[in-house]
Amino acid sequence: MTGFFLILISALVFPGIIIRTKSIASGRKGPGVFQPVKDVLVLLGKGSVFSDTTGLIFRVAPVISLSAIFTAILVIPFGNMKGMISFEGDFIFFTYMLALGKFFSIISALDTGSSFEGMGANREAFFSMLAEPAFFILMATLAMFTGYTSFSDIFRGFFIAGNHYVLVYSLIGLYLLVQIAIIENSRVPVDDPKTHLELTMIHEVMILDNSGFDKALIHVAGWLRFAVYGALIFNITVPAGWNVFLQAGLFLFVMAVFAVIVGLIESFRARNKMNKNPKFILALSAIALIAFLVVLIVTDKFIL
Amino acid sequence: MVIYLIVFFAVTLIYFASAERLATYIRLIGLQGLLLCGIAISELKDVNTANLIFIVAETLLFKTLLIPYLLSAIIRKSGVTKVHRQALPGFYLILFSIAALLLSVVLANSLINPFINTIFMTIALYTLFTGFILIVTHRLIISHLIGFLIIENAVFIFSLAVGSEMPMLINIGILLDIFVGVLILGFFGLRLKPHTNELTMLKD
Repeated sequence: MTGFFLILISALVFPGIIIRTKSIASGRKGPGVFQPVKDVLVLLGKGSVFSDTTGLIFRVAPVISLSAIFTAILVIPFGNMKGMISFEGDFIFFTYMLALGKFFSIISALDTGSSFEGMGANREAFFSMLAEPAFFILMATLAMFTGYTSFSDIFRGFFIAGNHYVLVYSLIGLYLLVQIAIIENSRVPVDDPKTHLELTMIHEVMILDNSGFDKALIHVAGWLRFAVYGALIFNITVPAGWNVFLQAGLFLFVMAVFAVIVGLIESFRARNKMNKNPKFILALSAIALIAFLVVLIVTDKFIL
Repeated sequence: MVIYLIVFFAVTLIYFASAERLATYIRLIGLQGLLLCGIAISELKDVNTANLIFIVAETLLFKTLLIPYLLSAIIRKSGVTKVHRQALPGFYLILFSIAALLLSVVLANSLINPFINTIFMTIALYTLFTGFILIVTHRLIISHLIGFLIIENAVFIFSLAVGSEMPMLINIGILLDIFVGVLILGFFGLRLKPHTNELTMLKD
């Protein structure tokens, strides 16, 4: 339960820290940390406008996406505490809850009948499809390394494994999770949330028809998705056995650092050309695969 | 320690599949030379000191310094900086690279032999396949040359995989290095067709 609330709290300030970092890096005064929350509160007070071409899917998709992410948060452990839902292979459940949310946002974009939104949905589906193997191979590596298949056991057993490979896998996991979070949340270098040209958009073009209350839900879902990956990064970098209060402080610290990293990447890195993105994302799977094979060989688990 | 170096070496091979600038290729070739030097130092403890010094000097001088320097000189001379003539999009190169990695693991593990180091064998095969992929999928002559250098690094790792049993193989790997140095200087360095702004043809 502690982890659940910490994720919710950090999700509220996460986009604000990114925006603040970007404004400081570019020498602007910029909005405050809570500006995105205020914007969402304004949106929540408005009604939604629906196009005549849209149907039921378009109306329910934002709610389903948000609830899918809330459900995914329930399996994430915090330190020694298990997630509210915990079972063998729960990381597969977690991944497919996130995928369910994405699936509904994709079919909702297709439901509008707009060619722009179809294009964005196509790109989002393709990039998510390419990022998925990287996440699964990473989780399989950690599962193989620790001998467990649920999030809480994997993260608890990770630091008990107690040999010098922990550092290597912690670093590889950190790198891959940051990159996957950036891809899944459609940020620079894969996508630019601030772009104004529909032809170059990926995620933003999919929500062009959403307005008011629905748009607020979509924004909140995006923040939560970031916070979810931040929680995974916390679990892979901070040993599970430490004091709870220390861990809570470290959790917020890791989230803040993660948000600052995303902000700095967006400030100092150019966006990829669209045709470079598949190569960029697939390279993550290749790196994860090397880590996986090394675990197989080192632990003598490769049997032909 | 050696496991970190060998994993880092494998990561450089993935970078080869995704890189698009010749300068990146050259930096990676230099880096691989440095990594091979580290691997050789940590792995070849049984060979005599004179031989070890020779191997280390060769990896540092030839692989890390001389060959990258010669390649940089060729690039400066020709003015070609990007690998803009691939026969396949870069996306497929990474797919091939992943497939090559999987194939290498299967092949290396099917050669169960107490005298062969499986991790070295896996990475050696992966290096070999990466060299082949680079040669087959690129059109510039310098990319072919870099593919050959990668294959040559594969021979070096092969020799390390069985190094304790067959030190002669290491010397063969080194001779191949010297041959490559002469090849680059004499053949590619002097006989490259000038002023075409493309590294695809040699002089008649």
